[in-house]
Amino acid sequence: MKQTAFVFALLLLIGAVGAAKTDTLSYADAAQQLYTACRGDLQKYCRGVELGGGRLKGCLDGHQNVLSPQCQQTRAFVYASIARRAAAQRNIGDICSADIERLCGTSHADANLVTCLRGIAPVAISPQCNDAFTDTGWRTERPQQ
Amino acid sequence: MKIHQVYFAVALTLALALTAAVADTRLNSNQIANSLVGVDAKLSLTAAQLRQDAIDNVKNYPGTTAIGHLLVYPQMDKLAQFTVEINFDFGSAAIRPESYRDVGAIADALHNPILLGYGILVIGHTDTVGSRAYNIGLSQRRADAIREALIDPFGVNAAVLEAVGMGEEQLRDPQHGTAAVNRRVQLVNVGKRFCFGRSGEQFQCP
Repeated sequence: MKQTAFVFALLLLIGAVGAAKTDTLSYADAAQQLYTACRGDLQKYCRGVELGGGRLKGCLDGHQNVLSPQCQQTRAFVYASIARRAAAQRNIGDICSADIERLCGTSHADANLVTCLRGIAPVAISPQCNDAFTDTGWRTERPQQ
Repeated sequence: MKIHQVYFAVALTLALALTAAVADTRLNSNQIANSLVGVDAKLSLTAAQLRQDAIDNVKNYPGTTAIGHLLVYPQMDKLAQFTVEINFDFGSAAIRPESYRDVGAIADALHNPILLGYGILVIGHTDTVGSRAYNIGLSQRRADAIREALIDPFGVNAAVLEAVGMGEEQLRDPQHGTAAVNRRVQLVNVGKRFCFGRSGEQFQCP
């Protein structure tokens, strides 16, 4: 019984680590996590600082020695996730160019490309393209039309 | 089942139910994206013209409010759009932390593949508190702040975003000038601007 519980806990842990490694957060979730973890620190150290133009990130970076551990950790994770998703969304056309030509027959990094990649089994896509596509969030966050 | 287990189960169910209720009222990026597609029309008005219209309206019809001479754009009303409330510090263009999530949700929507390459106007509106000229400036700075946050950190393509501040020249509830519904950010899809090449380069769609 104890052993089963241990194995179960281990599986959960592996699952959690695996998910953290492979999935990027939606921008809404990323922002919400930052707010939840850093609420007090934002009020204390970055009040009135603008979110955009790198200013909030700059403020948090500038106070990293005094931030609460929870904010410190979440901040790094959230900004890394945002950067990874944004880079994947920006570069997917480039990273997947061979796959697009081979599998989709389109030359545009647009909605058609996403629809095409969604329709293909991940194993049939090159690993780099597949990883980038996962990072974009477009595999799971389906636009409903 | 022991009593404390029952309590726990009830508490958990309640907590889940509450979470669901809260989640339902939050801004949903699919909903925003869906509201921003559909009408594929181009707006012939430019952001610069809209800014000028607001300034001219104050000049042409001076007074404490624009009521009676509110700016209307029937052409824009027909376009796909979505209105959100973003909170700012009083008199400031700093987005309040409780609204970060909603700005993120807008970013998610604008990154939705169905909106790739479409031009989006970010239009800021204020209520009637403060002078009209001041409000045009304030709403412009706030619309700029939202545009900037969408670009960095949230990675939206700067080329598709334009920010405009209309002050209190387009009140939604003119009868109640200070009503919260007047303080809003309007996102308008102004038509396809770009297609993207395989290496992300922009070009005019064929």
